[in-house]
Amino acid sequence: MTSGQTPARSAGARRRELYNAWVTAREAFWIALDALYTHKLRSFLTLLGVVIATTTLIVVMSVINGMNLYIANHIANLGANTFVLSQFEWAQGHAAWVKAQRRNKPIRIEDYEFLKENLEGYKAIGATSQYPSRSAKYERQILYDVSLTGVTPSMIDIGQQRVELGRYITEPDYLHAAMVCFIGQDLVDKFFPGADPLGKEIEVNGRVFRVIGVARRIGTTFGVSQDNFVQIPLTSFQRVFVARPSINISVQAWAAAQMLPLEDEVRTLMRVRRHLPFTEKDTFGINASATIMSLWERLTGSIFAVTIGVVAVFMVVGGIVIMNIMLASVTERTHEIGIRKSLGARRRDILTQFVIESAVMAGAGGLIGVILAVLISQIVERFFASAVPLSGVFLGLALSAAVGLFFGIYPASKAAKLDPIEALRMEG
Amino acid sequence: MEPQTLDSQLRESSAPPDDIVIHAHDLWKIYDMGTVKVDALCGLSFSIRRGEYVAIMGPSGSGKSTLMNLIGCLDTPTHGQYWLNGRLVSQLTDDELAYIRNKEIGFVFQTFNLLARATALHNVELPLIYSGTPVEERLMRAEESLRLVELGDRIQHKPNELSGGQRQRVAIARALVNHPSILLADEPTGNLDSTTGEEIMNLFDRLHQSGNTIILVTHEHDIAAHAHRIIHIRDGRVDRDEPLE
Repeated sequence: MTSGQTPARSAGARRRELYNAWVTAREAFWIALDALYTHKLRSFLTLLGVVIATTTLIVVMSVINGMNLYIANHIANLGANTFVLSQFEWAQGHAAWVKAQRRNKPIRIEDYEFLKENLEGYKAIGATSQYPSRSAKYERQILYDVSLTGVTPSMIDIGQQRVELGRYITEPDYLHAAMVCFIGQDLVDKFFPGADPLGKEIEVNGRVFRVIGVARRIGTTFGVSQDNFVQIPLTSFQRVFVARPSINISVQAWAAAQMLPLEDEVRTLMRVRRHLPFTEKDTFGINASATIMSLWERLTGSIFAVTIGVVAVFMVVGGIVIMNIMLASVTERTHEIGIRKSLGARRRDILTQFVIESAVMAGAGGLIGVILAVLISQIVERFFASAVPLSGVFLGLALSAAVGLFFGIYPASKAAKLDPIEALRMEG
Repeated sequence: MEPQTLDSQLRESSAPPDDIVIHAHDLWKIYDMGTVKVDALCGLSFSIRRGEYVAIMGPSGSGKSTLMNLIGCLDTPTHGQYWLNGRLVSQLTDDELAYIRNKEIGFVFQTFNLLARATALHNVELPLIYSGTPVEERLMRAEESLRLVELGDRIQHKPNELSGGQRQRVAIARALVNHPSILLADEPTGNLDSTTGEEIMNLFDRLHQSGNTIILVTHEHDIAAHAHRIIHIRDGRVDRDEPLE
């Protein structure tokens, strides 16, 4: 060996340095796990902040994600390539809605007939009209909050319903305003458990309808059953409930690419029909799934922003607690640091050891948070919507480890700067 | 050649010959205690050849501990030069000193200074971890080192499961594992009963016979008697430097 100061920095030396760093880092990882295992309660208390932060983050992400899926599948699912012409635009602010309330005119059956005649290039067109929620009765049984809808026969091709038993409302039913109904599974469960519902007569809002078909079960959305409905021909609806109902018109395009042209055509036809000058805004609303999703996302965006704030506060608090415990740990292990330094540990080695320990600790907190969040999410899923997104899991773990890294730097640098002689003198 | 004469032959800032493992020239260590300055070492010089067995003796307050810290590269002198294995180490930074400690020095402490929660094997592995030795080689060398001190059957024991003598042997195995230039023992028998102490000293003798350079820091004559040369320190200076028969 010549009288050099430090070994020459060749490529080999640098590779060796890197390898050294890897060896010490891996070593530090096991030390960290060991420390966590040895001080279980202390570690748990230390990590509480990070655990809560991670859990909150992932639970909120899961619920939003779950609701997004639900909205996409159940609420915003108007049907494939379908948009709805209605009196109001759905996704708009309150002020705009109040204004529209005065300006917009209801959509009528005549509009439906007109569009059906004049619109070109659509796959299907249908109309529905909703009656405020009503009760249905069969013999002595009563089911409340039943949604009653008047429909055109074409709605079976457009809407969510699928036929499970019997048949849907047909053209003859529609033409003759037959007193028949197509019912959801909830009514079957309540009125005809184990019995054949077809041909039975149920009373809806004081009128008797014969059951001709049963829909396939849909499930619940936000705890509200989607199978609690009665559909009757729109003509019958007019005959016995509302003579001149306000309706929604569903238009189905052949392909997604034809949605916009078709929407434009409907808009043009409706404007011409309502004699709107080009300076005037629409007096009706055209709603597609995208419209509902955009409204929804605006809402969840603000929920998420609040969550980020809360999580940030938890993480900082959690990080400070970790920093505190790491400072205590450095003091407690001064003698150990002295021993390690006497055996050739450099500042960098000690720094790495404590920073990694802090990161592993926080990361473990993140892991506990993820596990908790998954459990909570599964419970929430039973009566609400929730689905843990993989991105949330990664974000939670990465964020907590980063917090550990950041808040570990100060205690670790204190440890690294200890004088070996002083440190050795400290009795451990 | 007597060390003193050898020392005078060496001029300042020139590297000593190859067989000189330690060469200290005019070492000063001055502690600044605010109002007073304490001179712990006052121009101390000596050399140690490769393969020598040297005891450093002196009453408490003689600067013995300070000298040990300097020899062990735990500290740097205020003035003067310290050559270790042909390298001038008196002006190195913390991390460079750490590198030297790792490669060149095997410490044996009075209080053993083992990591309490680690097994004997892991304790011996530590210096190899800091020199970045790959795992397989590390385990092999650590085991070999433990066998050398006759603890091959205790490698998975933790310090509290070992006797005092066994602990010190673990510490010696750890000191030897990186094949250092010097073995630096600070009162290695201070915490042991005389029988065990004698065992440890026999081990040092054996290690010396197999070619290790050993420096003992002690105040016990019985212990120092194992060495072949005694350097007496008093008031921060070399008082006497005498060979033993």
